[in-house]
Amino acid sequence: MPIVVNVDVMMARRKMSLNELSQKVDITLANLSILKTGKAKAVRFSTLEAICKALDCQPGDLLEYKKD
Amino acid sequence: MKTKTETILKFMHVLAWIAFIGLAIETGAILISYGVSWFHPIAASDLYRGMNLYDVSQYDFWLYTQMVSYVVALLVVKAYAAYLVIKIMMKVKLQSPFTLEITSRLETIAYVLLGGVVISLISQVQADWLQKHVRDFNLGWIGENAGEFLLVAGLVFIISQVFKRGVELQAENELTV
Repeated sequence: MPIVVNVDVMMARRKMSLNELSQKVDITLANLSILKTGKAKAVRFSTLEAICKALDCQPGDLLEYKKD
Repeated sequence: MKTKTETILKFMHVLAWIAFIGLAIETGAILISYGVSWFHPIAASDLYRGMNLYDVSQYDFWLYTQMVSYVVALLVVKAYAAYLVIKIMMKVKLQSPFTLEITSRLETIAYVLLGGVVISLISQVQADWLQKHVRDFNLGWIGENAGEFLLVAGLVFIISQVFKRGVELQAENELTV
């Protein structure tokens, strides 16, 4: 898919673990893993908002468009 | 807590088992009566619940065998459809009901019933032809229900296609974070 999720990059920059983010955002590790590995088909605005808040970033920092 | 739908599904599961066992017994009874009619032709006068093919067996035993084959084939089609329904009932989970397995089973039921339409039409043509040559001839319900088979096959096929879309939507929903 041409949309790349850069959650792992932001997590590394903020030195935050998957467990920590999962607790802060209040979504399961399984769902966070789906998002991180790029398997997600859609992201709710509420989830995006919570991740941006937890990682102190903009949606554009998390999502990137790359041509195939 | 059990929901109303779960109760209905359990009831339908029991009904499907009853239908399957009933059809299997009916098929077995006709086959046994047919076997007996090889040695005692009078058995053909009441193959199963008033199904009278005695005159046909006297007219031509090969035609009689053909008519019995159609009856048995239709019963097997019905029994197999009931068996597939039982399989679906065993697999269905209300938490995530849309699966590819259930969709493919629904499609199979539609195709099996379509096969029933073909058998029913052929038996109807042959029964009409026999009616001109044989005086006393009662085939019961056979040959009269091609339309019903077609209607049910069509409905099940439509449901299977809707189910297919449901599988896609469920997968999409499960992958929404």
